[in-house]
Amino acid sequence: MRIGSRASTGFFALALSISLVGCDDGRTPLTIYSPHGRDLLGLVEETFEAANPQIDVRCLDMGSQEVYERVRSEAANPQCDVWFGGPATILGRGARDGLLQPYRPSWADHLPAASQHPEDLFFGLYRTPPLLVYNEDAVSAEDAPSDWDDLLDEKWRGKVLIRDPVASGTMRTIFGMVLARSVTETGDAESGFEWLRQLDVQTKEYVHNPALLHQKMVRQEGLVTMWELTDILFQRLRGSPLGYRFPASGSPVIDDSIGLVKGSRQPEAARAFIEWVGSREVLLMAAEKAFRLPARGDLPPEELPEWARQALADLVTAEVDWQLIEERGAEWMSTWDQSVRGRGAKD
Amino acid sequence: MSPARLGRPRLDRPRLFAYLVVLGLIWLVTYPLLLTLIEALGGAGTWTLGHFGEFAGRIDEWRALWRSLWISVASVVLAGLVGVPLAFVFERTDFPGRRVLGALVALPVALPPLVGVIAFLFLYGESGFVSRAVQTVLGLDQPPWRLHGPGAILLVHTYSMYVYFYLFARAALARLDGSMLEAAAALGAGRWRILWRVTLPQLKPALLGAALLTFMTSLGSFSAPYIFAGGYRVMTTQIVASRVNGQYALAQVEAMVLASLALIALWLIRRFQGAEAVASAHGVAPVRRRIERPAARWGFAALGWGLAAFMLLPHLTLLLISLVPHGTWTVELWPPVLDFGNYRELFSEPERLRPMLNSLWMATAATAGAVVLGLMAARQSLRQGKRLGGALEVLVALPWAIPGTVFAVALGTAFSVHAPWFGRFVWIGTPIILPLAYLVRCLPITGRAALAGLRQLDPALEEAARSLGASSFGTLWQVVLPLVRPAVVAGLGLAFITGLGDFVTSIVLYTFETRPISIEIQSSLRVQEFGAAAAYGVLLMLMSAGAFLIWGRGEGRP
Repeated sequence: MRIGSRASTGFFALALSISLVGCDDGRTPLTIYSPHGRDLLGLVEETFEAANPQIDVRCLDMGSQEVYERVRSEAANPQCDVWFGGPATILGRGARDGLLQPYRPSWADHLPAASQHPEDLFFGLYRTPPLLVYNEDAVSAEDAPSDWDDLLDEKWRGKVLIRDPVASGTMRTIFGMVLARSVTETGDAESGFEWLRQLDVQTKEYVHNPALLHQKMVRQEGLVTMWELTDILFQRLRGSPLGYRFPASGSPVIDDSIGLVKGSRQPEAARAFIEWVGSREVLLMAAEKAFRLPARGDLPPEELPEWARQALADLVTAEVDWQLIEERGAEWMSTWDQSVRGRGAKD
Repeated sequence: MSPARLGRPRLDRPRLFAYLVVLGLIWLVTYPLLLTLIEALGGAGTWTLGHFGEFAGRIDEWRALWRSLWISVASVVLAGLVGVPLAFVFERTDFPGRRVLGALVALPVALPPLVGVIAFLFLYGESGFVSRAVQTVLGLDQPPWRLHGPGAILLVHTYSMYVYFYLFARAALARLDGSMLEAAAALGAGRWRILWRVTLPQLKPALLGAALLTFMTSLGSFSAPYIFAGGYRVMTTQIVASRVNGQYALAQVEAMVLASLALIALWLIRRFQGAEAVASAHGVAPVRRRIERPAARWGFAALGWGLAAFMLLPHLTLLLISLVPHGTWTVELWPPVLDFGNYRELFSEPERLRPMLNSLWMATAATAGAVVLGLMAARQSLRQGKRLGGALEVLVALPWAIPGTVFAVALGTAFSVHAPWFGRFVWIGTPIILPLAYLVRCLPITGRAALAGLRQLDPALEEAARSLGASSFGTLWQVVLPLVRPAVVAGLGLAFITGLGDFVTSIVLYTFETRPISIEIQSSLRVQEFGAAAAYGVLLMLMSAGAFLIWGRGEGRP
């Protein structure tokens, strides 16, 4: 077919030949699906490979919901060895779908009971506290909201940005906490929804991904929001003027977990990785360099970096009925989406 | 079934071949969807229509459906209003810089997904360049507008989809028979009359093809509604919302409803097209009207450059963002620091280069396959009877009607079971599945383009070649292909770019070995590295533009 000149033939040939180059070097490939982002993954990959030169770590970075969907869709031909990260609620769904296999690392004994899966399918590794965030250039620390209820204050009307909760594990957890509390205290979710309706009135926009949320916060399109600690610390490190407050009434701390995928092709390497990543040294490194708060309770605070000691001192952990959130979360979000979103706000 | 009884032609070799093409397409296109549907309905034994009932009972579902519909129709109208006049200007008149500008104007198609939409945000968003400039000039307290809701979606759609009209109409204009225009003029028809009665009817196949592509694309469009529309849901974002909420069956129902909408559109356009093939003898393309008056010449050129500059604004914005080091640009109008750090980082690790090579080879393989398959299907569709031909045309257009995510999930489902006798293999997690998915996604483009080209072809030419003793392959190679080349090449360029920048299919089916650029862009965005994402975007854009210029060259010179 004379579809192109020699140039296009050359283009085809070049494209094909280049892509066939570059390949196996004989190391054992260990594939990790993770929502942790490049900073932690790069660090972990480098350090683990240095300690285990025979293993080639391959990290694929994606949202926590995506990890679940991919592992689920690949169940017939599993590509992933380690499911590294994501709230326990999502790994719990994976466990129910039979996507994980039991492996109990030695460090599991140091975890609080709530962070251990009864059948050893996954374990909490880091703790991720959701919190209140404000733009430091536009809002002083005294004026900044110090509890969830402060967001409903008149002065923040139209200045609150919210990451779209339907697609965000962090936001679902916060909303879940509000609704679960309402159920515990009043018997139904109505007063929780009322709170969310008031929040909707305050909300300028539901932002569709964390990148845009950050961008809009920095550019002062909105002044206050809720997000999680690790992300905000990274943004601060990179010079973003974002301040944070731990809510006084408590934060629904997310158990960021890890598990071994069923049908993993490199179970040995995968087990070695899980054992390694939860070890004391690696947890301290992750705390030092990637702002991860360890879930293990046995690490002496004086060995943790300054930010972590501060966080542990300020953090109030909210009592949350995780069971209830897991059971009714989908239904609640569906209701919120249909009858709360955008109902109160002008737009 | 006895062919004789039905009075049909015998099942001779061409007809058998046509059936094979149909079978192949069914296997690739319909079969995976059917398997998914069965799964959505609860699998054999536990059939339930409950989810359809749930769908029908929810007002927000109907609202989303209506919005998808009207936005798609509006996108077609707007894209046509921009694209077709541009095609006329660049194909029928001659002025300084016409060739370069003609290629530049098609470049919105090279704007990569995801970051492309982000570029719009940086330009026209609340704190974007244009909005801030307008705000400063007019001395407003508030930004002059918010890039939000249906208006924003339509802006992005028009911008990225007029190219379909532009390219298809240009290809058709290049194939126009100048002698017919001369004859009409000699018979006393005025310029408008010729346009309405001679030119546009000849363009009809191309325009309908472009309209269909635009309609389907905006029906399946995801990034723009996702980022701009917030709670203003259309069907594609509704599907995603259902999926992330764990309502998989409802999501499947929504996908099926969306696909039905697309099928209805396809049916309508086919009816509108009618059975008659618009054939033209292979005459000489009409001479371009050379603009002679110097003032008008330069006026045209200036207008052309202005337009091209406007069309290239998002690309330039992307380039600018790619030069901004992380976290250095906050509330300033212009980024305070610019350097090549993002690119250095990108080229310093072979790990980060790999996705570009992956995208290249997968898009190449997929395009080659889609061109061959599209051409075969289009040719058979026109040669065979109405029923078989119609089936072929629908099959070719179908992938466009299915949102990328849904289709990818369907392919993943179909090819995760080992049952060779049922045409199912475990391809998930292998390097085969992604190029295959690209191929199917590109098929409507190459198939449509080939159909438009073949429809303009006079069947008498082929008959003549055959009666002069050429073999059927010889006829195809020496007569048909050279004549449909402009149309096929237009389709090829678009298909390649679609594959190169694909995001929605890739996100479901990629593996470590086959991760494409768009996935890398996505993970940069996830960690708020706009600069790195934009740098990838710029490289993707350069590759798309390069491919486009290679294949766009010589276009319109049959």
